Amino acid sequence: MSVASASTEKKRRGWFKEEFGDPERRTAYYMVLPSLLIIVIIAFFPILYGIVLSLTDSTIAGFGSFVGLENYTEMFQDPDFLEGLSNTVIFTVVSVALEFIIGLGIALAINRAFRGRGLVRAAVLVPWAFPTVIAAVMWRLMFQSQVGIIQYVASATDIISDPILSSRTLLLIAAILVDVWKTTPFMALLLLAGLQVIPGEVYEAARVDGANVTQRFFRITLPLLKGAILVALLFRTLDAYRVYDLFWVMSNRELQSLSTYVYEGVRISQLQFGPGNAASVFIFVTAFLIALFFIRVLGMRTSAEEE
Amino acid sequence: MTERNEGSGVFAGRKLNRRDFLKMGSAGLAGAALLGAAGCGGGSGGSGEIIFSYGPDTDGSIAKLIDKFNKQNKGGIQATHRQMPADTGQYYDKLRTEFQAASGDISVIGVDVIWPKQFAPQNWIIDLSDRFPASEQKKFIPSTIEVASYEDGVYAVPWVSCPDVGLLYYRKDLLEESGISGPPETWDELKEMALQVSEEAGIQNGFIFQGSNYEGGVCNALEYIWTHGGDVLDENNKVVIDSPEAAAGLATYASMVSSGAAPEAVANWTETESSANFYNEDSVFIRYWPSLYGGLGDPETTKLKPEQVGIVPIPTDKPGNPSYSTLGGWQMSINVNTEIEDDAWKFIQFMTSEQSQKTRTIINGGDPSREAVYDDPEAQKATPVIKLADTVLFDNGKSRPVTEYYGDMSLEMAEQFNSVLKGDVSPEEAVKALQESLSQIMEETQ
Repeated sequence: MSVASASTEKKRRGWFKEEFGDPERRTAYYMVLPSLLIIVIIAFFPILYGIVLSLTDSTIAGFGSFVGLENYTEMFQDPDFLEGLSNTVIFTVVSVALEFIIGLGIALAINRAFRGRGLVRAAVLVPWAFPTVIAAVMWRLMFQSQVGIIQYVASATDIISDPILSSRTLLLIAAILVDVWKTTPFMALLLLAGLQVIPGEVYEAARVDGANVTQRFFRITLPLLKGAILVALLFRTLDAYRVYDLFWVMSNRELQSLSTYVYEGVRISQLQFGPGNAASVFIFVTAFLIALFFIRVLGMRTSAEEE
Repeated sequence: MTERNEGSGVFAGRKLNRRDFLKMGSAGLAGAALLGAAGCGGGSGGSGEIIFSYGPDTDGSIAKLIDKFNKQNKGGIQATHRQMPADTGQYYDKLRTEFQAASGDISVIGVDVIWPKQFAPQNWIIDLSDRFPASEQKKFIPSTIEVASYEDGVYAVPWVSCPDVGLLYYRKDLLEESGISGPPETWDELKEMALQVSEEAGIQNGFIFQGSNYEGGVCNALEYIWTHGGDVLDENNKVVIDSPEAAAGLATYASMVSSGAAPEAVANWTETESSANFYNEDSVFIRYWPSLYGGLGDPETTKLKPEQVGIVPIPTDKPGNPSYSTLGGWQMSINVNTEIEDDAWKFIQFMTSEQSQKTRTIINGGDPSREAVYDDPEAQKATPVIKLADTVLFDNGKSRPVTEYYGDMSLEMAEQFNSVLKGDVSPEEAVKALQESLSQIMEETQ
């Protein structure tokens, strides 16, 4: 291309000319324009609006004036926010790790051919099919002191004597366990789908070459499952990172996460609107970074067209 | 296609091909889903229909009254009930969205007693002083008018289930069995009796209440602070919670659990759990709202009979000291954006009239706000609690420290009071922390 050898200035003008000078290309742009506009309006406008709000002293009643990063400094000094952040990070890391290990085990188990496999696969999915809010209420009842079965067993066996719902540490542990209970099946399902596309011949060949079970798992299963693992981990990480309903319903608004902090600031409090907005931008940016980390660093594939 | 993309894209200076852009885009979209959409609609003032927003009409009394109003106004303006969430917080959320959009859709708003002083400074509801003169206000229980007032105006008319006050219920039969002559007057007596009777009667809990980290927990703890001579705000709206009296109140509050008179579980109980526990005959004493009495004798609710249960005012720190009960309940206000102010007022007048209040009190067992209804034999027969607890309802109701930013104050208080109950924070630390955080919030008000 002649453009490549020209100066930067010319290159830019040439680029523009090439893209828009050609009537056919121009038509193409016109035709794509409506979809682009829709994407901008649907995806980017709310994001930008949220960012702009977080830089002003707006309240629920009206748009305010520009205050720079004041909301962010206030947010980082707020103990409630820090508590929400640490809860969210602990919850995400621990629950996703447990879900992955157990989910992989389940996926490997039900990947084998055995009688009643279909039934087992369906049964495994039951906890995942529960609406989170219902599951949270159900577990809250079981954790309840005096009437809850778990609290009863825990007290009777002297494992836990304090009321579970009164301690934030115990609540966080409970939330992690409930999340593991609920979403491990989803993890298993995603991993199972990955396992099923690994051709049987590869294993046969390995067996012929004398590879044992461990070798087959680490040399064949894991590398070939990498794509599915990354997708499953990204889904679950982002999902766990914005945890809201499980925390609030199960703990009756006691356990703070990043999302509950946003809700509290934006919807309940009249004075925390700014920091609440800042926190929503914080969640967006950090979630974006998590996604980027998976795609760039871990090399996750986002589409099938790539080799 | 390589170089012509140089310098464009999100990261300037780095090559970004279409695939990469799509990757970034998909990551961005994943993130976008996390950001709540923010938007608001334009305002409009509905006319031709009076929309009355209120919680669920579980007993049909609202429908009955509205029917009557519509019949009386045949050919004229008609009213409908728009159902709102029973949970005060959720209802408040919905209303706030309406106000933000400057919508005049709802003309008559059923308001919680903590709202008039929050809504009035924001100019969300109308000052009713001209229509609701002092001569008319006198016919209502004074505390219910006080909560509806802001500066020189009055912004709401009290309805049925206002005053809703804290009461101490006790099991008459069990106290008699233990040879106790009368109900407790002080917190210490309550504690002793709760421990003694629950043990002798073999009942799980001595005393229960609503101690969770929520508005109801604030209502409970405030009664301890007030009955020990403490307060949150003084008459000039200055924060005065950091006082020995308030700390003593919270110490008594925490001692209910630490002494074993109340179970540790009350620290996460609300109305639902506590009433179920009392109805299930698992507790001797309960602090609750007047509505608990209506369930007694109803076989679907409980095996307890009304004659087994007595009602007394909230205990105090020393005999003879005044008792205070946190005032709750519902009132009616007019939306500032409505176009049918006069019709809305007509509707409020009808709904809060003596006759309508009597009808609703008989059907749903709420406490009327008009003093005259308390003398009505029919109302007394249908809802005995208005006779049993009339002095508490008339005299002991005390408003929470409501100001423009009460929502934020309540969050702070709920958290601290709950921590004290759980033993995580000492009463002295709690009142110090609250003095600071509440003062900060009050600064915003000025």
